[in-house]
Amino acid sequence: MKKKISMAVALILMFVLVIGCAQKETGSNSKQQTNAGASSAKKTEYPTKPITLIVSYAAGGGTDLGARLLTPYLEKELGVPVVVENKPGGGGWVGWAEMLGAKPDGYTLGYVNAPAVFAGYLNPSAKRKETIDNFELIMNHVIDPGVIAVRADDKRFSNVKDLIEFAKKNELSANANGVGTENHIAALQMNKELGTKLRSVQFSGSAESITSVIGGHVDVLFAKVGEVLEPMKAGQIKILAVMTPERVPQLPDVPTLKESIGSNIEYHSLRGIAGPKGMDPQIVAKLQDAFEKAMKNPEHEKKMSDMGLKVDGTKGEAFKQLLKKEEASMVEVKGLLGW
Amino acid sequence: MDSLGYLLHGFETALTWQNLLYCLLGVSFGMFIGVLPGLGPTAGTALLLPLTFALEPVSAIIMLAGIYYGSMYGGTITSVLINTPGEAASLITCLDGHPLAKQGRAGAALGIAGIGSFIGGIVSIVGLVLIGPFLAKQALKFGPPEFFALVILGLSLLLGLMGKSLLKGIIGALFGLSLAFIGQDQSSGIIRFAFGQTELMKGIDFISIAMGMFGLSELFLNAEESLKGKASAPPKVKGLLPNKEEWGPSMKAIGRGSVLGFLIGLIPGTNSVIPTILSYSMEKKLSKDPSRFGKGALEGVAGPETANNSYCGGALIPLFTLGIPSSPTVAVLLGAFIMHGLTPGPTLFQKNPDLVWGIIASMFIGNAMLLIMNLPLANVWARITMVPFKLLFPIIIIITIVGTYSLNNSMFDVGAMLVFGILGYLFKKAEIPLAPIILTYVLGSLLEKTLLQSLTIFKGDFLGFFTRPISGTILSIAILSMLFSIITSIRNKRVITEDVEM
Repeated sequence: MKKKISMAVALILMFVLVIGCAQKETGSNSKQQTNAGASSAKKTEYPTKPITLIVSYAAGGGTDLGARLLTPYLEKELGVPVVVENKPGGGGWVGWAEMLGAKPDGYTLGYVNAPAVFAGYLNPSAKRKETIDNFELIMNHVIDPGVIAVRADDKRFSNVKDLIEFAKKNELSANANGVGTENHIAALQMNKELGTKLRSVQFSGSAESITSVIGGHVDVLFAKVGEVLEPMKAGQIKILAVMTPERVPQLPDVPTLKESIGSNIEYHSLRGIAGPKGMDPQIVAKLQDAFEKAMKNPEHEKKMSDMGLKVDGTKGEAFKQLLKKEEASMVEVKGLLGW
Repeated sequence: MDSLGYLLHGFETALTWQNLLYCLLGVSFGMFIGVLPGLGPTAGTALLLPLTFALEPVSAIIMLAGIYYGSMYGGTITSVLINTPGEAASLITCLDGHPLAKQGRAGAALGIAGIGSFIGGIVSIVGLVLIGPFLAKQALKFGPPEFFALVILGLSLLLGLMGKSLLKGIIGALFGLSLAFIGQDQSSGIIRFAFGQTELMKGIDFISIAMGMFGLSELFLNAEESLKGKASAPPKVKGLLPNKEEWGPSMKAIGRGSVLGFLIGLIPGTNSVIPTILSYSMEKKLSKDPSRFGKGALEGVAGPETANNSYCGGALIPLFTLGIPSSPTVAVLLGAFIMHGLTPGPTLFQKNPDLVWGIIASMFIGNAMLLIMNLPLANVWARITMVPFKLLFPIIIIITIVGTYSLNNSMFDVGAMLVFGILGYLFKKAEIPLAPIILTYVLGSLLEKTLLQSLTIFKGDFLGFFTRPISGTILSIAILSMLFSIITSIRNKRVITEDVEM
């Protein structure tokens, strides 16, 4: 019996020791980092403890990878650990609801994804009261530009003009990643403004979509630059147009939709940093500064560019205007979604 | 024979001490997350992904791939011991694995699962080396209509798992299907049965249902028995190896499971549950005495466990050769490739032969490591069944609660798991079989999605399914198999009455 008790005590002590060591380690670590960034830390007493960064999608997805690529640089700037927490579900709104419910003290931040965030409240069956106005918008991290593509050996279309002309006369199937997602809206806008007859087939994600276009089950692919670079290099698909105002550096030879047919339809997704409304302006300014420096880190920019993403950095009011514009274009096609 | 030369070269890469270490780390961590219900291979690989930035690309991918196939070994353990699948792929193993454990034969179940997993893993890697690239192109012919047909085939085979009463089985199946309705409908965007709860919008997590229905309800039943003072003493662990007469059928089951899992793995978009259902049903149909299934038939463990491992190897083929991720975990692996500046796809074999063949070679080594870890450990794990119930009960409760919480860091999932535990208990009392519920739940959402996708492609024409050769063939097989089941059940009532009892 005695032996058992002493064993138990020894075990508990060992645990305490391990925990103690771990804490000491992180403590000294963050101290070092605060010293490094001491000059900027003097004005406000923020941050003094770890910051939680909520990602409203599962680990391993695009938003998650982007967040995990950014946080090491951000930690350097802020001097405290930044912990990525995945809260997937509800089209992203599980995580957003949690973030909006947190204290606006700057220690709970999160990624806000557009246009996914709008779908959560424009869809009447979601019965949601919060809107984009409930977010304290800090800074946009990335723009994921969209493209329109077809199978490489699809003889019917050699450029986007052919495709549009063909689609005006014939029904074509196009992929979408769910109702109200950016590629669904792009297809609906084309139907509305250009008179094409695209039927959206809903898939669970880009990987599935790309596979069914390569397999010849679906005619038209709406996807992001980062997703199509590899299949294009492999000769599986041909990219007909990028749907951004300017050409993208990863695809210098691909024209924009505007160049080809003069249409202003744009298609991209945005992933930015936000917090709950009511944050101290000084903290917001400090965060903007830190995020800007972290995003501008050449190493970080290179990694993002390799993934086909554009580091943006639009902040504060401008970021809000950007999102408002996106929201308006979604409201325009609301009727087509049956909302 | 070029491949063989390359492969030998690959072993050169894989056998450096760093890579051996990373391989060992990967497979051990994979085993671990497989054992922990909740934390699945997708989350496991994603969490470790940032840690690999500093590594050489080849070491990083060796480790991440190790987590992937290692987790398939681990999932078996909880299925057999506490009737709780560590991840979806081991669900079917509960059906016969747990009854075996109750008979004191957990060791045999874990042993044969280990051997089967090893063989399945090796067969699929050999397939990857020899015929992978050729088959991968064929697999692209599987579009939404073909998936739909495959799901229908899976559901038709469920008829064989219906339990004592066909009616109760169908009640279970329909209950499972209706659970799949909860959440946002993908093709219309309408949110169904969420009652204003954000958490319900994504539907209920599979793990919450599986752990509640299988694991927790089992605990409730045991608790009730021990309150009544009727609890049976824990079984004595006997026989760590299969009986003489079991070797033959088990090895055949392993052989069939290997091929089946590999072929399903090739098809992008499937999940690891489908090959296990197909394998289990196939073994049951081919068995001389199907009534043993559900009461501790070793083939019922051997086949599906082999199939889920060879599925893993098969699923890597579309990634390596076409750059297409065929499952969520493989999608994370694709992310790892890209982050390390590599491009999976047809050019990968030409541009980075050292890397690809190094990874393939490491998979042989990793599987061997897992076999070495698993066979002696089967002995250790099996002894857990001898732990008195009152000690085991709290441990299992902790594992299930922590496991469910770790899914999405959400208490909602834990609550759902408790609710399904109570439901599972009631269903067991009412003798409604649980297997159809959970299987139709897994397949239900896939069924709805692929049906609506196909109908959009066919412009609403149902006959479209029969105009495509692959979907037409599979659907015909499914219909024939359903008719066959019904006819045999009418002719031979005995088989049905003594059927799987859960």
